[in-house]
Parts: sequence; C-alpha cells; structure tokens
Amino acid sequence: MQEDKTIHTAESTVDTIEALTEKTLRMRKAQACFASYDQEAVDRIFYAAAMAANKARIPLAKLAVEETGMGIVEDKVIKNHFASEYIYNQYRSLKTCGVLEEDSVNGIMKIADPVGLIAAVIPTTNPTSTAIFKILICLKTRNAIILSPHPRAKQSTIAAAKLMLEAAVSAGAPDEIIGWIDTPSLELTNLVMKESDLILATGGPGMVRAAYSSGKPALGVGAGNVPVIIDSTADVRMAVNSIIHSKTFDNGMICASEQSVTALNDVYDEVKAEFSRRGCYFLSPDETRKVGAAMIINGSVNAKIVGQSAYKIASIAGVSVPEKTKILIGEVTDTSIAEPFAHEKLSPVLAMYRAETFDDALDISDALVLEGGPGHTASLFIDPAEKEKIKKHAERMHACRIVINMPSAQGGIGDIYNFKLIPSLTLGCGSWGGNSVSHNVGPMDLLNIKTVAERRENMLWFRTPDKIYFKRGCMPVALDELGTVMHKKRCFIVTDSFLYLNGYVRPIEEKLDSMGIAHTCFYDVAPDPTLACALTGTKAMASFGPDCIIALGGGSAMDAAKIMWVMYEHPEVNFEDMAMNFMDIRKRIYTYPEMGKKAYFVAIPTSSGTGSEVTPFAVITDDKTGTKYPLADYELMPDMAIVDTDNMMSQPKGLTSASGIDVMTHAIEAYVSVMASDMTDGIALKATKLVFDNLPAAYEKGAKDPAAREHMALASTLAGEAFANAFLGINHSLAHKLGAYHHIPHGVANALVLSYVIWYNASEVPAKMGTFPQYEYPHARKRYCDIARYNGIAGKDDEETLALFIAKLEDLKRTIGIPASIREFGIKEEDFLATLDEMTEKAFDDQCTGANPRYPLISEMKELYLMAYYGKDPKEAASL
Amino acid sequence: MAERIILEEKSYKTVCREGNILIKSFVPSHPKSNVYNEAYIHSCVEEAGIPVPKIISVTPSEDGGFAIAMEFIEGKTLQQMMAETPEKTDEYLERFVDIQLEVGAHRTPKLRNTRYKMIDIINGLTEIDASTRYELLQRIHGMKRHTKLCHGDFVPSNVIIRDDGSYCVIDWAHATSGNAGADAAITYLRFTLEDPELADKYLRLFCRKADMAIQYIQTWMPIVAAAELPRYKGAERELLEQWISVAEYQ
Repeated sequence: MQEDKTIHTAESTVDTIEALTEKTLRMRKAQACFASYDQEAVDRIFYAAAMAANKARIPLAKLAVEETGMGIVEDKVIKNHFASEYIYNQYRSLKTCGVLEEDSVNGIMKIADPVGLIAAVIPTTNPTSTAIFKILICLKTRNAIILSPHPRAKQSTIAAAKLMLEAAVSAGAPDEIIGWIDTPSLELTNLVMKESDLILATGGPGMVRAAYSSGKPALGVGAGNVPVIIDSTADVRMAVNSIIHSKTFDNGMICASEQSVTALNDVYDEVKAEFSRRGCYFLSPDETRKVGAAMIINGSVNAKIVGQSAYKIASIAGVSVPEKTKILIGEVTDTSIAEPFAHEKLSPVLAMYRAETFDDALDISDALVLEGGPGHTASLFIDPAEKEKIKKHAERMHACRIVINMPSAQGGIGDIYNFKLIPSLTLGCGSWGGNSVSHNVGPMDLLNIKTVAERRENMLWFRTPDKIYFKRGCMPVALDELGTVMHKKRCFIVTDSFLYLNGYVRPIEEKLDSMGIAHTCFYDVAPDPTLACALTGTKAMASFGPDCIIALGGGSAMDAAKIMWVMYEHPEVNFEDMAMNFMDIRKRIYTYPEMGKKAYFVAIPTSSGTGSEVTPFAVITDDKTGTKYPLADYELMPDMAIVDTDNMMSQPKGLTSASGIDVMTHAIEAYVSVMASDMTDGIALKATKLVFDNLPAAYEKGAKDPAAREHMALASTLAGEAFANAFLGINHSLAHKLGAYHHIPHGVANALVLSYVIWYNASEVPAKMGTFPQYEYPHARKRYCDIARYNGIAGKDDEETLALFIAKLEDLKRTIGIPASIREFGIKEEDFLATLDEMTEKAFDDQCTGANPRYPLISEMKELYLMAYYGKDPKEAASL
Repeated sequence: MAERIILEEKSYKTVCREGNILIKSFVPSHPKSNVYNEAYIHSCVEEAGIPVPKIISVTPSEDGGFAIAMEFIEGKTLQQMMAETPEKTDEYLERFVDIQLEVGAHRTPKLRNTRYKMIDIINGLTEIDASTRYELLQRIHGMKRHTKLCHGDFVPSNVIIRDDGSYCVIDWAHATSGNAGADAAITYLRFTLEDPELADKYLRLFCRKADMAIQYIQTWMPIVAAAELPRYKGAERELLEQWISVAEYQ
C-alpha cells in the first residue's frame, strides 16, 4: 500500500541541507496553490490561525520562559495575546488578494500578489510572539513561511508554528504552508535566507546584517537604545510609572524598552523620589560601577543578565538589593559607549541623566539613540500642550518611532497606547539603522503590488483672452469698456516710435481723454525688444502706476509690453527660470506668478503676423548676454485683444509678406502638432485658407484692398489662437535659430524651411515619433493632406496631394517675394556652415520641438538646414 | 661550522641557532603539511615586503621530521625592551601599534581567510554549547570581508628591534588574511591576560591610530576569545568564557 506522502513529508525533520532543500521545494508548491485562494478563503485561514495562537498563549508563554530561562510568563502571555488578537484585528478586513483598488476614470488598478516563500528569523527574546506575528502576516498575504528559530528557543518557536499550521490546514490552507528548521544551525539559517524570496529578520545586528547580505530582499530591524526625556512640564507620577511599567515588562527584553531616563533638573529629585517610592533601586556610585562591569563585557551585554530580574542582576554584580526591586538605576553622566549604562541593557536596568535644559536633554537623548539604537525609538514625557518642544524633539531624534507620554515597550509596538500606530513586532529602523523600512512592518510589506495602468489621454484646453474684439473700426468701441465698464483710471501705452510718430497712438489717447482716463506712452520699443528696453519701460510704468496697459504694435511691442507687465507686477522674477523649456506646460518646474493684480492688459496688433494679441508667448533678448528668453505661460495671455484693420492698413510690403507667411506657418504647424485638437483644427484650417486667398492681394495692393487686409488680420488672430493651444513644431525651432544666427526676419526664416519640414514630417516611417498620449501613430502626412484638401487641392493619392500642396505653398512664397533658399537670401556659405552645428543643436532644444509630430534627430535637423540653404528639391527631405 | 645553540624546546619542535641561521626542527609526528604551511605563510609575508626573517630552506631531517631554516635576527624584542626600560613603555607601545598598522596595511589574499579559520575552530569547540556557537558564527557572518594581513599573535615578544632601530616581525605560523579589527582583538586579549591597564592603553591607541571605532574591535572579542579558548586554562579561561557569553543587542 502506498503511504500518504503529504502527511509523511509534513512530519519530516529539517536538520540537514538536503532536508531543508526538499522542504523549501514542497513549501513552494504549497504556496503556488495558496496563491490561487480568494480573500474569503484566506481570511478564514487567517482567523483560524490567529484563534489557535491566541488559545495557546499561556502554554506558549510558559514554554518560552522555561526553555530560554529569560523573561516573565505573564508578560509573554500579553505578547502572545497581542501578536494574535491585535494583529488579527488590525488586518481582519484588509484586502490582500487580487484587485486592491481600481480607478477606472484614471485607468489605474492595483493587484496584490504574494511574494512567495518568506524566511523568518525568530529571536530568543520573543520566540513565540514574533513567530505568531510573522506567521499571521504571511498567511494573510498568501505567502509560505519558513521559520528559523534560535537554537536556544527552538522548541517554543516550533510549538507555536506547529499549532498554527494545524489550525491553518484545518481551515483549508495547503499542507506545509508553514515550515521550520528543526535543528537550527547558522548554515541552515543562511541557506533558508538564500532560498527564500524575502526575509523577515528580527534579531541582533549580526543577524540583520546576515539577512541583508544574503542577496534577498530583507526586512530587518536593528537594535534599540530608547532614551526617555522627562520634561519639566511632564506629569512626573504618570511618567515614572509608565517607565516602570514598560521597563519591567518581560524583564526589559523588548527592543523598544526604555534604556535611559533624562530628567530635567527641576524635576530630577521628584522623578527620583517617585522611582524609589515605586520599588526601584538607585545604585550608589560604587554599585553603579559594579553593575556596569557585570552588565557590559567588551561593549556587549552579558548574556547572563538578559531578561533577568533586577535582584538577580544585582546578585551577579555582587550588589545586595531588596528581592522585590523592580529596576536598578545608575545615575551617570557619560553618554559614550565607555559608559556601560549608556548601552542597551535588555534587562530591568536603567541609566539616569540630569539635564539643565530641554536642549541638553535633546543632546543626551540623540547621542544615546545614535550610539546604541539608531533609527529605533525615542520617548518623551511632557505636557501635551508643549507643541513646540514636542516638535523640536521629533525633529531632533534619529528615531523612526517617537512616543509621547506612554510606556515605550508597549507603546512602540503600536495599537495599545495609540491606535493609529500600527501593531507590529517587527519595527523598522530606517536607513539610520541600516534598514529598508522605517515603519512598523505589516502585511503590505509582504505583497508585490502590481499596478495596471491603462493608456489615458491627457486633458487638453482651449484658452484665449477674455475678450477678442474685431472688425474694422472696432477699437474706440472696445476701448470704451475700459472707462464705462471697468472704470480704469490710469493707462500705460506701449508702442514703437514709428507708430507713435505716425499718429497711431492718437486715437487711443483721444478715446482715453474722452473718458477721463489718465495715460502716458512709452514708445521706445525696437524690433527684437531687449531686457534693457523693457526695464526702462517698467521703470516708467512703476512710477506711473497704471491699472491698465495697452500694447499697440507688432509682435515686438506686444512682447515688450507683456514683459513690462510681468516686471511691473512681479519685480522679483527671474527670466532664466521663466524661460526654462518644459515637456508639458502643466508640469513645468517654474510656477509663473499670477498676473493682472495690478493692471489689465489690452493688446492691439498693427500687423498681421505674430498673433501675440491672443497668445501666451513673449520673447525678450538680454542685450548684455545676447540670450533670448522665450517665455510661455497662460499668465502672459492678454486680457483683451482688439483686432482693428484700421491699424494695419499701411503695413509695408516686406512686413506683409514676412508676417503673412508666418501666419501660414502658425496655422500649418498647429494643425499637425501632437497637441492639435478639434478645438484648434477648425480655426487652423480657416486661417490657412484665408492666407492662401488673401495674402497675394494684401501683398500686392496693400491698403487698396482693405478686404484682403481684414481677412489677413483675422487669419493672424485665428492662427494665434490655434498655436496658443496646440503649439508649434520644428519649422519654428529651425526658424527661431536661423533668424537669431543670421538676422533673417522671423516670417522669412519660417518660409525658407517650410516645404522641407512638411516633407520631413510627412514621413510614414519616421525615425522617432512625437510623445503625447493623443498622438497614436505617425499621421502627419494625412494631416497635411487635410489642409491641402480644405484648400481645394486634390491629387490622386496622399503623395500627390502633398506634392501639390507644397507646390502651392512655393507659389505663394514666390508671389510674395520670398527668396528660394537661405543662400539666395544672402547668407554667405562660410558663415552658414560655421554656425551650422551650434545652430542645429539650439534648434533641436527649442521649446517648439516638443509638439512636432516627428521627434527629430539632431542630424536630421542639420540636413534640413543644409537642404534649405542650398535650395534643394524639398522632396529630398522625405527620405530623411 | 657555527655552534648550535638551543633557544626553545617544545614537545613538537626545537628552535636553535647556528650562527646567522635559525632552525626550527619539527618532530617526525608533526604533520608535514603544517611545516610546509608555516613556510608557505612565512614566504607569502616575506614576498609582501614585510620585514621578516628570510626563509632559507625547508629540509628533511635525519630523524624523519622536517626543519625550516631562516635568517637569525639580531636585536631585542619590544617585550624585552619594555621590561628593561618600563618608563619607555608608552613610547614602545606606540612603535608597536605603528608596526601592527604597517603590517595590516598589506593585502594578502593568498593566505587563508581569518573568518574561515575561526569558523572551523568554533565549530570544533565542544567546550561551549550549540546556542553560543550559533551566536558566535552569526556574529562572524555579520562581519565585513577583508583581506588584510593579520599576524594572528601580534604581541611585543614577536617584534624584534635591531640596533639600528629597524624592526622585524617573527612567528607567522598563525597569520591569515582578514580583518585588522580581529587581529587587534587578539592582541588586546593577550595584553588583557598580562596587564589589563596596558591592554586598555593599547586599544585606545590602536583605535586612534587606525581611525577605527572601539565597538568594531569589541565585536570581534567574543569571536577571538572563543577561537583562543582551547589554549587557556584556569582563571584565564574563565575570563575568556565571560567574553564569549554575551548577547547581541536587540
């Protein structure tokens, strides 16, 4: 007859490497099965095991004391009770199986998976309670646990494990889900750590170091050396009796037990008297020396005193004290390791220090923590109203648990004197203690939490000035609002000298005068405005103190006015920080200051180009360093835009051409941007059509064709709205740097690279595509064809449509007098080549690059520059 | 031929001097491997560039045993010097620590590692119980792994100072490669058994000069006490037993 293998192996003894290896293999199988259990089944097992351990709390406590010869039965009963009841109660309804949380809106799901086989090293000081605790948190998380008991406490540890295994299996757990080493040896302990998936190490620094060096993730905890301060404001009676209650608990073997008391000078005698009254013994200097010598040998604690009574320890040291003495107290001053009383004593022996001030007490306490128990626990008795002192103490201590007005042994393990400190018998000491955790360890530390993240689209936006007024002749009507509705008092006008001298400001001034609004005008803005110019303007602005700013002009005047606005409202700003590139404007490091507290901003364009009246952008050049600061933030958005074609009638031809083709580039780039949306697509398309249909006439006829001028004005504003929200692409990156390095007007620079960039972006197989959740696959080609078809261009397929579209753009460029190449513009070859590499890298790093549908390689951008320089066939860019 | 002067006689070896040569003759029952091992260790140390008597030969002797021949070093040991001029003890102790640090500055990975040697000894100790052995082994396991040259019995009687002031370190039979802290712990142990006050002076001086924490050397003390236990009896043994019987902080 075949014997029942499962039962046989469950009873097999683990005393050799071979037996242990076989045991772990079987346990892994059991765990694999356990991993498929649902929460209900797991919770049944968790309940049964907790209940079984709780029932056996007294026999297990007796066994532990009997076997180890340390500690107090009654206190070990409490520890076992705590380890079963408190741990069960804390985690009874915690979800530890399967889906823990699901957020379908944000597409995030968290799933708990067990870690596998957990090695648990159990100390002699708490051989049953630590075992109960570790077994329970493993069962709750569907892990298998193999215990490595201390040889001095193996019977009690194994007894606890055995009865919990029986209860767990009866409740449905797989056989051998709990295992143990029967004959502990360092070899087997090390092997078990190496063979496990995670180690729960509790013990001395040697064990913890061994766990960490095993190569497996370890939750180890270190030694404590808990210092207590009794402040002048403390309730001394409560403090002293709490300390006695804690220090005598299990004869002082809990790692969170108090090791020293530092009493403030003014309560020192009171503290001493209370200790004496309650049965503690103050050692004389000579007795202190004797006990110290017996207690600490070569810096380590004498094993013979660990967990012994005060009386017994005194006898070992040759000091006679009453038999019922609760604690031996040595009054000492030295906090260094040379002082035996400064060490952790693992017994009812306390050091007592006197502190002149609270700061002195903090010095003593922190020195003791760092010396003997870095990262563990520190304790303070104080009037709870002394919030400042409590905070100071907490900030100062290198301790992961800081307990206030409670016995630290029972307090540190949580849930007894504070109900939010989670109950645990494995207390993390953080990096100060060389630990990976700083909290009280629990089931969540034994799970692999899988986060399932579904693709989500980013929120988009559509932002414009509060008010956009347009139509020829609208300016005075719009300005009326400043007086009649907003009751503005002082208006500061920013413009350039050409506009000022040619009377463009006069209608504004007249309107303001008619409303009784005081005004002044700063008209020194030059093209490519400088910081110096903006500073001068700001100074004038600050002394005038406007509640409204009116920017009149092209991009330069509007940009300069925006900068003055910023500096007027926030003189402290740093342009370098403001100009820092961002990947996502919402996640930028710099937070823009809030604008509009002092002044309302009105933008009135006089050219059809930048769209600055509706964009959150401004560029300023530091004339000292030559650095250009491109600023972008919705705080820079004007409050009101007034698009009145009357202001644009007499634009010179060159300006009409350059700014007109800039509008086209804005519209095209906004349409193919990775951030393009339905909100911007329509206006971008409309803008391209307005430019195609009206730019030639506006260029040729100027003021003689006011309709073309008006259409171009609106095209400019529409394109501005589109790229204010969808942003631009590398056409602008290339043009920004080309313009800066070779003094080519911005619009012309855009036109010179436009066709190359379109062919380049239209690739169906780009080296890299742009990164944005909405941008799912390379589709720039289709987007360009959308623009073409909207403008009535249709080839037999996309390829041909694209070619025809580009041909039409080239036609437009020729019509409005744009040179065919950068060389033709007049840039010398040697000058161009000399700057090429630097210019390319800067263009790559331009803020506009991020929204381009194709993420460019620097080498590709260089090629684009070269092609545009020599005026190669744009289609060659398609093969990049 | 130079006169043969017997310097030391033990059950397993005789040490004698023949002119400028020192001969260690081992009895036939002394394992050949031990003899060669001692010569090997000594040669490794010699090659490391430490001032030691140079090994001349390892030869079979007529009685069937083996003998190691090496240079004889003229001079006085630091122990002799301390005994002769006790007022200069501090000065000599300083010299002693400097030499120990010079020795420990060498890396000798070819030598057996201290930790394995100690693990073997502790595993073989029947005098202490299994739990204590477990704790000691755990303690060793938690120590960092170094390959510094450790003399293993670095005491003033093993340091010879020549007339010109140069030094020479002798008796390398126990040398290993490992942690300087362990070597210092052995020295401290030997001093403690002779003169506890001098031992404390030594420990403080060593830690200061080596920039090492006293705790680190103290961590080794239960381990070296256990490894040295078989060599001692009576009161000395009791002291070592006390050193061993310590608990780790929790």
